[in-house]
Amino acid sequence: MIGRMAALDFSQVITTSDENDMIDAIALGLNMLGEELNSNVVERSKLDTVNRKLEKFAYTTAHDLKSPLNAISGLINLIEFSNESGQAEEVKEYIGLLKATTEKMKGLVHGILEYSKTDADHIEKNELDLNIVLKEVIEVDQLTSVADIKIVGALPTVVFNRSALEQVIRNLLNNAVKHATEEICQIVIRSRDKGDCYQLSVTDNGPGIAPQYHEKIFELFHTGEHDAIADSHGIGLATVKNILESFGERVWVESTIGKGATFYFTLRKRS
Amino acid sequence: MEDYRENKKIKFRFGNDHILYTDCFPNTIMTLEDGKESTRVSAEMVSNIPRPLFCDLTNVVKMTQDCRRHFAGPEHARTFSKCALIITSPISKIIGNFFLGLNKPLKPTRLFTDKEEALTWLKEDSADQDVAKSIMMAV
Repeated sequence: MIGRMAALDFSQVITTSDENDMIDAIALGLNMLGEELNSNVVERSKLDTVNRKLEKFAYTTAHDLKSPLNAISGLINLIEFSNESGQAEEVKEYIGLLKATTEKMKGLVHGILEYSKTDADHIEKNELDLNIVLKEVIEVDQLTSVADIKIVGALPTVVFNRSALEQVIRNLLNNAVKHATEEICQIVIRSRDKGDCYQLSVTDNGPGIAPQYHEKIFELFHTGEHDAIADSHGIGLATVKNILESFGERVWVESTIGKGATFYFTLRKRS
Repeated sequence: MEDYRENKKIKFRFGNDHILYTDCFPNTIMTLEDGKESTRVSAEMVSNIPRPLFCDLTNVVKMTQDCRRHFAGPEHARTFSKCALIITSPISKIIGNFFLGLNKPLKPTRLFTDKEEALTWLKEDSADQDVAKSIMMAV
């Protein structure tokens, strides 16, 4: 047992007798020590994972904020120069660009904040009627003015956190709208009963996603060719994945180029 | 007036000296469930007023990690003001030392092999507290 402990294997337990003598006491002590050490190893491993995620998050955040900041700095220099040389029209143009860039940055920071919130441990869960939650998101975001959204069949009641679920639905619908290439963006929402959970799907008529990007699109700050056109920061789908996985759910995409995309995710049934 | 209760594993007695006494039946294995039940009964017997706790671990042959963490935690701490753990068997000595050293209970806790010494320590501050209470009530 000591040998195994040295190799950080704390699984072995020494059998004790009913004598309650010194040998039993030592055996119990070793078993308890093994348990405590194992807990520490598990905690340490979780901490290492969190630290690695944090490091990556900090790097990509700083990296992606650098770009709009450089643009702002450049525009200010141009404004200064144009102002000195009396070129009022150009100053106006640069101010317009400056405004747009700062709005972009605000959007990026907001997205980062939303993403960060999803790691909170103390998230309350309630029974939620998906039909109601979906309707509210569509109304608040005025999505019917930019997309034709169809719901096939009645959606179920699930157990989830309301704001988190709104965020998931909002991000998936907005993702479809942002990447729409057809004149009318069409979105179809379905639900399937899979026994222990429901499988929801959000299908769009967008440009589709090549197979090599099916995993990457859920990475933080991942932006593809269409994202630049769609003015996307690459946070929305990462947030969806982060939220769902923190609740023990799954999300994935099925798509081929030119044939739209279907985003699937699971939601636990009410108990 | 004294109050006595027991379940399958633990005996509880709230004495006229306002000390809560707990003792286990022979060869008791304490789990988290037992710990929570102990807290519940203790809280009822002391009417949710933290009292000195005399806890005899002699008959305990095993206490799970979760149970120790529970006894060291805030929920159980609400039921006692200070705790004397009686450890007269080899195994209870190990459990007591692990509890004190690793789990670090929130309220003053000491290990004793002598019951009289334990009672003397438990009665130390409580005597002062009872005097203070009487003065407050008289005013």
